[in-house]
Amino acid sequence: MNVIEAHGLTKAFGKFEALRGVNLTVARGECVGLLGPNGAGKSTFIGILYGVTDRSGGELRTFGLDPRTQSREVKKRLGVVPQENALDEALTVTENMRLFARFVSLPESKIDARIDELLRYMALEHKKDNPIRALSGGMKRRLAFVRALLAEPELLVLDEPTTGLDPSVRHLLWQKVGDLKRQGKTVLITTHYMHEAEVLCDRIVILNQGKIVDEGTPRALIERHTPGFVSIYAGVENLEEKLKALLPSDWVLYKQQDNWCVRAPSLNALVDFQKATAMSPLQIRPSNLEDVYLKLTGEELSQND
Amino acid sequence: MIESLRLSWHIVVRNWTVYRKDFLANISPTLADPSLIMVSLGLGLGPLIHDVNGRSYLAFLAPGLVATTALFTSFFESSYGFYVRMTYEAVFKAMLTTPIGPREVVIGEYLWNFIKGAIMAFGVCLVLFAFGLMPSLWMVLPAALIGGLISIPCAAMGLISSSYIHNINQFQTVYSFLIAPIYFLSGVFFPIESMPRLFQILIQISPFSHGVRLMQLLFWEQLTWSALAWHGGMLIAFGVILGLWSNVRIHRKLIA
Repeated sequence: MNVIEAHGLTKAFGKFEALRGVNLTVARGECVGLLGPNGAGKSTFIGILYGVTDRSGGELRTFGLDPRTQSREVKKRLGVVPQENALDEALTVTENMRLFARFVSLPESKIDARIDELLRYMALEHKKDNPIRALSGGMKRRLAFVRALLAEPELLVLDEPTTGLDPSVRHLLWQKVGDLKRQGKTVLITTHYMHEAEVLCDRIVILNQGKIVDEGTPRALIERHTPGFVSIYAGVENLEEKLKALLPSDWVLYKQQDNWCVRAPSLNALVDFQKATAMSPLQIRPSNLEDVYLKLTGEELSQND
Repeated sequence: MIESLRLSWHIVVRNWTVYRKDFLANISPTLADPSLIMVSLGLGLGPLIHDVNGRSYLAFLAPGLVATTALFTSFFESSYGFYVRMTYEAVFKAMLTTPIGPREVVIGEYLWNFIKGAIMAFGVCLVLFAFGLMPSLWMVLPAALIGGLISIPCAAMGLISSSYIHNINQFQTVYSFLIAPIYFLSGVFFPIESMPRLFQILIQISPFSHGVRLMQLLFWEQLTWSALAWHGGMLIAFGVILGLWSNVRIHRKLIA
């Protein structure tokens, strides 16, 4: 059975159309990444999943239930890590967890053990009696993460889980998401970090202006939209003219900030091109998800694509 | 419904957990304000007034101050307090990811306001009793209950205004044009019977006036079943109507 099923899902806030006909299914045990620029509709989609945002049109089922009318039943089975943590700043770490444990109806006799277990899992047990305002950003994020795990949800929703975190916390969270995947949980992640999406997700869905522009495995998306290798050039006079004059017709040339990028089908072709032009690129690298993202969200300023 | 109430109760527990952290700082203004009024109006102004319907001005004033405590406790809790929880602290943002829905948030706020209003009325009564302004100690329980009942429509005014305002400073306007008139005109400071007939009729639309009257009849040992039914009924009716209105408004605020 599918955990999430959306058909023709729309949402308008006044005149602004946040979602414009989204079709998306997420199967049990899948880890799906929602990518897209700010305002693409990612958080709106998540809100509709558990009923804090009302859809304007189309259909959506979470666990086969309609979150509009059965929101409580849906919410018993999912855990959400909201973008802004939303921890109770006035309370301590343990008080936050204990209140939440009651909100999600954890049996009173199991609450303390479960909280200890989760705080240990996230290396937060030494902070258990500290007020939230005394925690660092990374600790708050870790706490918001385990708070969502209290009731052992079937579906975990992570809204930009690692935005603003240092690399060590980011890797810790990735490792924990990996654990959850191995336990067979379904995970939905929104992120702006392509590398994160590539590391964690079985499937990636790219949203732009309220519509899904494409979806697939990271590999498939790269193969489909930006196959091959990329050379990045900068700091050469009349660079654009020189590159254009020599560029094979089936290659792609585009600008990224002050750099010019050349995408070719193979690494060897780029090395040969480097010799032929007598210009050294800053970098030659395989095409990645970021290239796909920039292309599909229209943020790659394409020259002859 | 049982599950709704159980979830709402956790919101009360949450608010109480936060409240008790600064218990003395939180409770002292509630007790200090009525004491100040007792001194300034009761002792300062009272001697100039010979008697009000056969009792000293201080004795006239006392029950109204208990009611006033419930008015302010619940209005401020459900306006500034609620608005800060909703907007700045994002308390509900997290709660709403759990089985708690907007209805439980609203019910939880009313339960909390009822309890807080009752406790504050209780506290003020004890102070009044110490000063010999409450005829007998047993009255503290029905007075607390009336305080709780007053808190419901007054909390509703706070919740409804929370749903309309665009920034927190606008509560000042609500205070000046709604709460202050209710406070000054509902019979705490003067007997309503001494005002023109039209005023006496119009003031019935202030839920607070019914609470003040109930408290006065209790303190003056004049409470009858018919008065209890009328004023208690009006308090409950206002509570239900305004409560339902606030439920619709807060739902719209929390569910986009």
